[in-house]
Amino acid sequence: MALKKGQPTPPSHSPGERQDARNLETLLQTLLDEDPSKRRWAARDLAEHPAATGALVSRLRRETDATVLQVIVTALGCLANDEAIRGLIDCLYSENAMLRNTAIEVLKELPDPVAPHMGELLHDADPDVRIFAVNVLESLRHPQVEAWLVEVILKDEHINVCATAVDLLGEVGGPQSRDALAALKQRFPEEPYIQFAADLALKRIGVE
Amino acid sequence: MPKSTIISDEDFQKFREFFYRKTGMLFEDSKRYFVDKRLLERMTATGCESFRTYFTMLRFQASGAELQTLINAMTVNETYFFREEYQFRCLVDSILKEIITHHPASRPIRIWSVPSSSGEEPYGIAMYLLEHWPQLEHWDVEIISSDIDTRILEQARAGLYASRAIQHVPAPLLKKYFRRMGAQYQISQTLREAVEFTRVNVHDTADMRSHRHFDVIFCRNLLIYFDDLSRKKTAESFFDALNPGGFICLGHSESMSRISPLFQIRRFPEAIVYQKPLEAR
Repeated sequence: MALKKGQPTPPSHSPGERQDARNLETLLQTLLDEDPSKRRWAARDLAEHPAATGALVSRLRRETDATVLQVIVTALGCLANDEAIRGLIDCLYSENAMLRNTAIEVLKELPDPVAPHMGELLHDADPDVRIFAVNVLESLRHPQVEAWLVEVILKDEHINVCATAVDLLGEVGGPQSRDALAALKQRFPEEPYIQFAADLALKRIGVE
Repeated sequence: MPKSTIISDEDFQKFREFFYRKTGMLFEDSKRYFVDKRLLERMTATGCESFRTYFTMLRFQASGAELQTLINAMTVNETYFFREEYQFRCLVDSILKEIITHHPASRPIRIWSVPSSSGEEPYGIAMYLLEHWPQLEHWDVEIISSDIDTRILEQARAGLYASRAIQHVPAPLLKKYFRRMGAQYQISQTLREAVEFTRVNVHDTADMRSHRHFDVIFCRNLLIYFDDLSRKKTAESFFDALNPGGFICLGHSESMSRISPLFQIRRFPEAIVYQKPLEAR
């Protein structure tokens, strides 16, 4: 036995596997296959078919295999049309933490498609969803990020939402955030964490 | 230098946290001079007169191009034989030991090294197996190595190296596996014939689909150059390229935990690597 020159795919393995046509119709059928590895491959290839967005979102709601869910979320992120973004936002309401966190990571990468939904998310009735929306802002490359965060610390009544936002303002905030940070300290005078985090953010923003 | 171009302690903290979150690279205080120097160079190159202006561009630029340029400036992109050798030790002392407990004896063990660059990594793996893995007497091993750049693939196939690339190769191995050719060294024909080089764009699903059934993937210092979504997509393709129970080795500053939850973390004595669960399909 020894080092042998190989091929990208060994011919001895499962002859004929994944040799099916990769057209939209076949891929949509494969997305329902019993074998999760086939569903994963179908979801990955469907990322190149905007017409498959609805089917991917629909599968996302019923899929039970965690590995397939991950690939569907990534595929929706690649498609990034409004239907895909709504499908990803739906994941923020999921009880499945892994799915939720993956959707957050993907949404962070899509500033322009996500921006039109951010106002609604930051006013969601569920404070957890508002926190997830702030988590999305963490790496969102969008010029409105600071303004959204300022609005949160000025108006949101939930301390955990404000605490998440103020942490981030320490990084992205500029001089225009100073008044809002001072106001936040006054809104939560008995909350040591808010006092600490707002002071830290003010220090980091500094004096220009 | 205007006062505004000085990077304050607070600026450094802010930058360090942001850069860690984006790349997984954490700069200790002792690297402050290095980081400041690179930042000031990029600020000059981009015409930003203050750290705040530069950081805002870095953070919010839609294309992410400047972040990419800065990552390139902050990383030492040098390839040479036996770079991060501890992972090769992990391969022979831990990873392969585990793989052969469940691998069908009738099939070769398959290793994928991507990107191949000019071949230092795949040839280094081959040498390491020949020298340090006695089980090679009982197993066939295939090494496939891929790159997007066809010119670099030609270089890899030729196997010619300058002295800088072989500086960490012990003298006995240099004698055994290389032939001096003027100012260069050529890897032996036996090793050149043992490694298959292929062109792969890891972003291309068709390319990735054609590379399968690997037991170990070395993908070091490549994903760091991708945006988060591309990194995740590539990691998911690697998941399907691996056999159940297969392993992926990333560069020392990279962490699969920050990219995808599909893999299990495996902490071996020599290195932390990532595994496709044995029960995965």
